[in-house]
Amino acid sequence: MNGSSARRLVGVWVLLMLLLALTVGTAFLPLGVGNTLLNLLIAAVKASLVVAFYMHLRTAGTPLPLVASTGLLWLLLLVVLTLADALTRPSLSAPW
Amino acid sequence: MPMTRTPNMVGAESQVRHSLPGQAHAATLGMWIFLVTETLFVGALFAAYLLVRTVHPQGFILGSRETDIVLGSINTAVLLTSSLAMALAVDRLRADMAGAAARWMVATALLGLVFLGIKGVEYLLDWQHGLVPGPHFRPGGDQAPGMELFFFLYFLMTGVHALHLFIGIALVAIFAVMLRHGRFGAGLSAPVENLGLYWHFVDVVWIFLFPLLYLVHRT
Repeated sequence: MNGSSARRLVGVWVLLMLLLALTVGTAFLPLGVGNTLLNLLIAAVKASLVVAFYMHLRTAGTPLPLVASTGLLWLLLLVVLTLADALTRPSLSAPW
Repeated sequence: MPMTRTPNMVGAESQVRHSLPGQAHAATLGMWIFLVTETLFVGALFAAYLLVRTVHPQGFILGSRETDIVLGSINTAVLLTSSLAMALAVDRLRADMAGAAARWMVATALLGLVFLGIKGVEYLLDWQHGLVPGPHFRPGGDQAPGMELFFFLYFLMTGVHALHLFIGIALVAIFAVMLRHGRFGAGLSAPVENLGLYWHFVDVVWIFLFPLLYLVHRT
């Protein structure tokens, strides 16, 4: 019986619930673009908690964090290159 | 003289390839690689979301306000709790308590079903409120095209997520029955652990979907 590992998992759940309350609560504050940034920051912290503790990446050997960060890298390329094209495209009016 | 392998070398090799821990490591690595491909699958949807949101920022704000924040928040809590149950199942299995592990997996599957049930109620309310894109889309005004695109992405992304969760529920239920029949234990926990990885991945996708769809601007 390993009670301490189960306690840690429950502790992570408590943190996740607090972060959920925080992200829902702050959504009703008028922070402008800050709302979106705060939401994404809280989501990233929640995801990191799940990945580190529930998916055991914290204690995993070398290859797994490497594989996981490869996924993040490709995701970043996908999003950044898509937006880089779309956001820098000049809107030309039709010549007729 | 031809090079021959010493019995020792063959032994070391087969230990990596054929030993149970070696296979477990390979299986977990394979699961993570699968999850990376899944990240890019849902990543394309997130990229589409960001792209359309930059074109229709106001439509996304108005669209997001039409989503049910109470049901959405409850569902987020349900899914996070299901992840705790799944993590506890793996924890119990590692401690060779297959019975407790099976019970936590039943709890995981039930919480998954609760999530899908609440999501179904939400879809029904969305339908009744005329939020399904198409000829019966109710919202009008100059932001209606952006709102319609928001709800197209809302249904696509939550639908893809629900499909993943449905598959997860089925697998967790099957694995719980197999656990009951003594198919897994502390010595053979990799299949359950890797199913847990899938379950938590689906949870992580929702962790990002929730603020992007329900919490754009509530004030």
